[in-house]
Amino acid sequence: MKAGIFICHCGHNIKHTVDVRRLSEYFKKIPGVEVAIDYAFVCSEPGQDIIKESIENKHLDRVVIASCTPSLHGDLFKDLLKKSGINPFYLRRVSIREHCSWVGDDIEANTEKAKRLILSGLYSASHYIPLEEKMVEVNKSALVIGGGVSGLNAALFLAKMGIKVYLVEREEELGGHVRLLNSVWPSKRSGREIVAEMVDELNRLANVDIYTNTTITNFEGFFGNYQVTLKKGEDEKKIIVGGVVVATGFVPFDPSIKPELHYNKDKRIVTTLDLEKGLETLEISKKPRVAILHCIGSRDETIGKSYCSRICCINAIKTAEALKEKYPESYIESFYMDVRAHPKGGEEYFESVQEKGVLFTRGNVAEIIPTDKSIIIRGEDTLLGEVYEKEFDLVVLSIGMSSPVENKALGQLLKISLDKDGFFLEAHIKLRPFDTAVKGIFIAGSCSGPKDAEESINHGKASALKLFGMLNLGYTFVDPFISYVDPKRCSGCRQCEEACIAKAIKFDEKLRIVKVEEAACMGCGLCNATCPSSAISLKGYFDSYISDEISGLLEIA
Amino acid sequence: MSDKTEREPEIVGFACSYCTFKASEMAGSLRMKYPEKVRVIQVPCSSRVDPAFVIKAIFEGADGVFVSGCHPGDCHFIKGNYYTRRKMAALKEMFKAFSMDGKVKLFWISAAEARRFIEKITNMYNELREEKNAGKKN
Repeated sequence: MKAGIFICHCGHNIKHTVDVRRLSEYFKKIPGVEVAIDYAFVCSEPGQDIIKESIENKHLDRVVIASCTPSLHGDLFKDLLKKSGINPFYLRRVSIREHCSWVGDDIEANTEKAKRLILSGLYSASHYIPLEEKMVEVNKSALVIGGGVSGLNAALFLAKMGIKVYLVEREEELGGHVRLLNSVWPSKRSGREIVAEMVDELNRLANVDIYTNTTITNFEGFFGNYQVTLKKGEDEKKIIVGGVVVATGFVPFDPSIKPELHYNKDKRIVTTLDLEKGLETLEISKKPRVAILHCIGSRDETIGKSYCSRICCINAIKTAEALKEKYPESYIESFYMDVRAHPKGGEEYFESVQEKGVLFTRGNVAEIIPTDKSIIIRGEDTLLGEVYEKEFDLVVLSIGMSSPVENKALGQLLKISLDKDGFFLEAHIKLRPFDTAVKGIFIAGSCSGPKDAEESINHGKASALKLFGMLNLGYTFVDPFISYVDPKRCSGCRQCEEACIAKAIKFDEKLRIVKVEEAACMGCGLCNATCPSSAISLKGYFDSYISDEISGLLEIA
Repeated sequence: MSDKTEREPEIVGFACSYCTFKASEMAGSLRMKYPEKVRVIQVPCSSRVDPAFVIKAIFEGADGVFVSGCHPGDCHFIKGNYYTRRKMAALKEMFKAFSMDGKVKLFWISAAEARRFIEKITNMYNELREEKNAGKKN
């Protein structure tokens, strides 16, 4: 073995708490290590050049890169090995940033930990065998789940690029929540109008199949070839798609969860969404006193929703403006924690509404007491440090976004994770905000966290673009991490056959040993851990790899 | 840890790459802290963990080993974690005979639960540290 070890400083991220120089000096002395270099940014172009030159000049056959976590820059380094002329599966990534420098403060202890981690990576890599990635064709079609604005835009984008699109919507009509909006800030156009334009455009395209009132009952396969079962009423239909955009959106927070808000019990207490149906339905005088309550169902630990819903401040301001325009004589007071009018032009809009005479008081409402004549509101003005008690004729609750309960079932079906609030989890919150952990499944819109219409549309288009890029290539490489059987060791006990979840192991009656169906194997390694004769092994995770990794971590060095 | 003679337990963890390993990545990104002597090995699924690996780690000096997978029902490989659960239960039963069952732990930690990851491993670390320094107590 001729191994090269490349230790990344990651600027100061690793160097700050790990003595990288000491590590490279240490590894230079280890037998089998030809090169041990520490460098500021291994992923940068000069960094890659160093690796490439070392492989070529020193004829390395193992490359250990100690840097960030393996899920970042995975393909980059794999491609680099390919370009340098060695098998990409001779690469070993060791995470000394997420699993070492960032989680400990002590330089001595961290350096020791990094040394162990790299050592175990090196030991493990010494057993590596070359593997071949299999190229498979990709089905140029996509499934878009959810017909709200983000789903519609994802579908539109994909369809225009020539991808066959299946758009699935659970409700009877497309358009999601935007369809229900009377006016969409800042354009002031009605949501119905905006959605209708998108749906018309979609209907004009020949390569789009729209399924309303439809749910997904089964989902199998891998990127490029997902088999999906759609259910509409009693009818079931099977389709094959290359990739998926999940855009299931949100549900408005239901204020009746908090009984102290008296929602649904008193007609004079309404939500911002109720008012989108039009102010005409309100039974109030020409000179109403209106209280608008912010952060209903957001930033509230008592109901387990600590996040900001991002849309409700603008909604509250918009409602205040609409009321002020219809009832110029009205008295409107908004009770807030912080006003987060974050979209473009939001802050100016907030100021303009203040100038129109809407009062903003800092301090959440503590108590709502409905009486026959009025609704009494109590709370503390946190700027003045005084308790207020005021009477109002109408209370508007500016509700936030919650995750749909159905996300859990869908997440289990698609094998994608949820975050603590029930929204879908991004592969990386900053670097891969559209991807899920599953290849070929993207998330769009407020199903991954509260977003306004503009952001949802952008998110939908971006996810569609990423998926298009993958589909348009026409092929993909499948990880070669599948099981294989050593016929000399197999005793034919068939324990692995029984255990295999994917039913990928078949017994050969003639040879009295088992065989693996490569296309069906999912690569979990359960058979490997089950086999009493060590005859069946998962490529990429051989017993020897993991076993020596353990030794590397614990050996007295 | 002011007492220099205090012994720190070494913990080896096997983390499923679809959930716990992701949670550990997130814990790193969020700069959460946990003891340096806790080290994680990535496996494709918790069911890949042969009980022999756990035994090997303890044999080679680990004070504790944890295996961590997806919550029941959430396994990427449909039901790999159920197999893990059975295997670890059997292993623990065996370890009980040697009063060593405290050394092996099985956790369910999803990709989003960085905080839970930290809590679980820190608790385990503290328990084992107590045990490891039992002889020093007056």
